[in-house]
Amino acid sequence: MSQVMRVLLSFALVLMALPPAPVAAQTTPAKKKNSFPRVRDGKPNLTGVWQGGSTARGTWEEANRGTGLGGTGLDPAAPGVLSSSDRPANREPAPYQPWAAAKVMESYKIRGIDDPAARCLPPGVPRTPLLGLFPTQIVQTPELIVILYEYMGMSRVIRMNAKHPDDTIPSYMGDSTGHWEGDTLVVDSTGFNDKTWLIGTGTFHTEALHVTERYTRVDKDRIDYDVTMEDPGVLTKPWVIHSNLMLREGTRLQEYVCAENNVDPGHYEDLLKNGIKFTRP
Amino acid sequence: MLCATAPLLAHHSFGAEYDANKPITLTGVVTKVEWTNPHSFFYVDVKDDNGNVANWKFEGYPPGVLYRTGWKRDVTMKPGDTVKVFGWQARDGTHWAHSREVTVADGKKLFFGPPAGTGDGGNTPAVDVK
Repeated sequence: MSQVMRVLLSFALVLMALPPAPVAAQTTPAKKKNSFPRVRDGKPNLTGVWQGGSTARGTWEEANRGTGLGGTGLDPAAPGVLSSSDRPANREPAPYQPWAAAKVMESYKIRGIDDPAARCLPPGVPRTPLLGLFPTQIVQTPELIVILYEYMGMSRVIRMNAKHPDDTIPSYMGDSTGHWEGDTLVVDSTGFNDKTWLIGTGTFHTEALHVTERYTRVDKDRIDYDVTMEDPGVLTKPWVIHSNLMLREGTRLQEYVCAENNVDPGHYEDLLKNGIKFTRP
Repeated sequence: MLCATAPLLAHHSFGAEYDANKPITLTGVVTKVEWTNPHSFFYVDVKDDNGNVANWKFEGYPPGVLYRTGWKRDVTMKPGDTVKVFGWQARDGTHWAHSREVTVADGKKLFFGPPAGTGDGGNTPAVDVK
């Protein structure tokens, strides 16, 4: 091999060892766009402690300085978080069939004293993931995604790329399977009982409830959470709600044992027994 | 994106048990603090103008929420401490109230419970009223 050939060959080998320029050019902006952790197979890593119903960034303390639910009041201008008893602000009314809407109103008029959660029953889906007062912890593995909720100490095991069993026993939190559509985790849940509220006072449903949740991590701090509820037993069309989960680094889930000292249902009974007026007109 | 600002608790109905039209501010000596789920309670001996003492019961957030809003169990408020409490009185007229802001012994103000109107369905029902 001539000296010239040897030089050319060395040059060619060096070029082969370098990453191709176009790929390198694509990598940088992609990193910027999706600057959040990914797992080994390239899917977004959702593992972490999150707060539902919020768009504020920062630690729990930094993000909850308003005067609303769970806020410290240190910054009165700071926004509050979503609750599970109210109609979410700036959103469409729940599309209930007329007879079912009347039943929802019955609960509203008695100020939600018939709330199943007030009796320490599991709050169901999507009421639990939409909550902002308590943190939510996601633990992701390739086969399972486990979601732990401080509220009521509830948990969900989402089996990836699985089918719902055909012998499901109706349950409060339902049976959940998951799959990825690009960077979005899609969770499909069925097998619910009819003993929970969807979101907002009186929002009952039947065992036909089908919930589809879409978790899209858009940056390090934020998951866009879009949920579609379908129940031909009570709704006229799918009910869609858009919310968020915000990363709360450093937050630990606390224990929540609802049965410990649940005195309020007894108070409700006393109100009724003693004829104390508390209902809405 | 707009953030929901509804100040409502996830658990019990404020409006059923408490009257938002009956705000109350009381000062007294703490006799007991219960960090319990689903709600915490504390009790305060309050003396009226005639020197009669009544033991008031105040309801508020669960322990996990108190912890995250700056309360330290057995430190921030203890039996024997003199505190000032702002809240709303129970509908049944007894010595019982929902606590909102507590001025603790060192003068610091902390929220022991959410604003009025928590957990009772808010100002707008989930469905449109026809």
